[in-house]
Amino acid sequence: MGMRSHSWRNLLKRFQSVFPTNPNSKSYGNGSSIVFIIVPPPIAASSPSFLRSFSSTELQPQLSANIIRIMEQRLSAIEHRSASLQNLINQPEASPADYARANKELRKLRTSTDLISKLRAKQKEIDGLKLLMSESSEDNDMLSMATEELGQAIEEEKRLQNFLLKSLLPKDAADERDCILEVRAGTGGEEASLFAMDIFKMYEKYSQKKGWKFEVVDLTESDLKGYKEASAAISGADVYGKLKFESGIHRVQRVPVTEKSGRVHTSAVSVAILPQADEVDVQLRNEDLRIDTYRSGGSGGQHANTTNSAVRITHIPSGIAVAIQDERSQHMNKAKALKVLCAKLYEMERFRIQSSRSKLRSEQIGSGDRSERIRTYNFPQGRVTDHRVNITHHAVNDVMEGENLDVFIDALLLQQEMDALTSFSSSQQN
Amino acid sequence: MRLSFTIGHGVPKFSLFLRPTLSRHLHRPIYSSSTLPSPTSQNPQTPLFLRPPTHRATFSDLRKWQNWAKTLALSVGSSFVDMDNGPDSTLLCRELKWLIEDVTEDGSISETLHNEEPERTVRLRVGLEELYKLWKQRIEERRPFQYIVGCEHWRDLILCVQEGVLIPRPETEKIVDLVGDLFSDNQGLREGLWADLGTGSGAIAIGIGMILRNSGRVIATDLSLLALEVATFNVQRYGLQVSAGRGKKRAVFLFSDVIQLRQGSWFEPLKDVEGKLAGIVSNPPYIPSDHISGLQAEVGRHEPRLALDGGVIGMNDLLHLCKGAASMLHSGGFFVFETNGEQQCKFLVEYMETEAGDNFYNVNIVPDFAGVPRFVTGFRK
Repeated sequence: MGMRSHSWRNLLKRFQSVFPTNPNSKSYGNGSSIVFIIVPPPIAASSPSFLRSFSSTELQPQLSANIIRIMEQRLSAIEHRSASLQNLINQPEASPADYARANKELRKLRTSTDLISKLRAKQKEIDGLKLLMSESSEDNDMLSMATEELGQAIEEEKRLQNFLLKSLLPKDAADERDCILEVRAGTGGEEASLFAMDIFKMYEKYSQKKGWKFEVVDLTESDLKGYKEASAAISGADVYGKLKFESGIHRVQRVPVTEKSGRVHTSAVSVAILPQADEVDVQLRNEDLRIDTYRSGGSGGQHANTTNSAVRITHIPSGIAVAIQDERSQHMNKAKALKVLCAKLYEMERFRIQSSRSKLRSEQIGSGDRSERIRTYNFPQGRVTDHRVNITHHAVNDVMEGENLDVFIDALLLQQEMDALTSFSSSQQN
Repeated sequence: MRLSFTIGHGVPKFSLFLRPTLSRHLHRPIYSSSTLPSPTSQNPQTPLFLRPPTHRATFSDLRKWQNWAKTLALSVGSSFVDMDNGPDSTLLCRELKWLIEDVTEDGSISETLHNEEPERTVRLRVGLEELYKLWKQRIEERRPFQYIVGCEHWRDLILCVQEGVLIPRPETEKIVDLVGDLFSDNQGLREGLWADLGTGSGAIAIGIGMILRNSGRVIATDLSLLALEVATFNVQRYGLQVSAGRGKKRAVFLFSDVIQLRQGSWFEPLKDVEGKLAGIVSNPPYIPSDHISGLQAEVGRHEPRLALDGGVIGMNDLLHLCKGAASMLHSGGFFVFETNGEQQCKFLVEYMETEAGDNFYNVNIVPDFAGVPRFVTGFRK
């Protein structure tokens, strides 16, 4: 836990250095009713000024007053909408079409309204406890009891607020998809291949711990049984949403098994996480594909008996080619190659849409920039550092066993949430 | 007994094209479909991966075998490739990995074999001694890998195979694709009756049967009793037939049977469905007789000549099939035949468009994924 809270402090520091408090935000208060105005921030310095501190016991950020107020506005809007819909339904003269439409919208709002009423009840309880405390300032027993209950109630209120806020934030539609993992040895020769294997197995173990299905798609081994390239299809709940930030360059510093003088080498592997897609997602047309098999000359057919059923599929318009050889039938090699090809085309399309949508978006994490060095695994010092959130974890072996990878993943997810919150609060300008 | 069926030798060349049916009858007088002999004792062999893991070995012993087998595979280098276009070391090493997958209770163990505790035991589906014997057969006798493990992965199927039954080829997978594509915009053909002639292990029939499921039906025929036994095993393993119709002809499909197996030469066992077929598919023997001796050792020395030898120019059976297709198919019916390559394809297209009368349309040559013109397809007018 000590390590963890230390990491969160790092994360916070990182945030504050990247996003200095925005001097353009102003608030005007006049007692009970507070009007909050956010002046449009300069694009690059959008400010999460709502970020005050992190609770040391929970992973939830404590929301600042202004973000809560923005949220309150949305909550009231939802409550109003819900009330007027309820009203419409109760009107005897409402047409069946209106009735059905209202009912449908109400059902959609139900999750939010349920949470809101829980939050309101909790807030009422807090007010009651505060009143009780002011009235029983003489009674120490009562006071300490009320204080304790108030603490709990406030925690609960925070939890509900976080929960509500999350449900209001926009989601990446691909988060729930399965993914394709690709690991490729980069600079560093044989040592890079060995580390590529270690990284690949790290994700395999991590997937097992998450209860995900991890299927090897293709392996190209190096001379020392490392992996020059390896890919896998991972499926399960929210796989892409969890793993998407793993894309990038992973650097290793250690004494390679091949190194006799004991000198520490630095080498690197690249990891890519692609959301899985099907032919419909990418509007794949048969005539855009060229399929080749690696038959070694000869007449083929009955003339030859080979267990080599490798397949290469080329998407002619984009020039992307995927070759798979690990399966025991040509059909299965083809199916796998097609799966990987679809994921690649889908990712390309997403990237195109994303970069055309806004510059800001591509500056956020998980933008899919595979040339970014994201993490360093330093074995002599036994540490792993994620350079994006500036978190260091001091048990490199645990990480390689698929343990504690969540330290990084959770922090990155949190950062993603912060990015979304930034957009959430700046969207109030409109 | 399998090789005694060998056909097409010594027939005068001119008769090959003119009278394929006659030459077929002269050399294959075997059984008519209604007098199928009583079940033989040739029960199909169980492929390794389906056997119970009743044997044990220590990891250290298994590893010793693996190292020995790998050394043997590496010693091959490219010598088989140079000799007859056989497998190289890389391919043999991959086969070795698959053999370990099939033979161990936990198939994924081949990955971690070198990390396991040496004295721990591992459960195997055949004894270690047998494994030494099998791999020796693979390298020294060039016994096909698929006969060693007793199965071939074909499309998304795992088909049991054994000596005497042709190992289905990757090229042939495309026949199922072609038929499947047809179904997507022709519901009539999907609901019809199909025939896979010379079914061997049952591969094409099962591939199509899996697509048809609850609509159409497939009759799969073969001359070889052993092939029929193996095909029955495979058909039942994929739930496409509930009960075997061995021993007597079954003229009707049971309610739940997608595939029916019949014994006999080409169209002989199909007299009752003449003119009623929605489709005919076949991968008949098409290798010219004098090529047989020069074949890759895995094929020439181990696979059944009955399934390979297509007569002097390799087209005895193809022509017989083309000739019969007109009377067997109903109007709009589809055929696809696999061939030896471009020459045979062109010959067949010409035959279908001219000599077979004005019976077919859309006669086409379709290449396999290696780009070799491999299939002839067309429709009955």
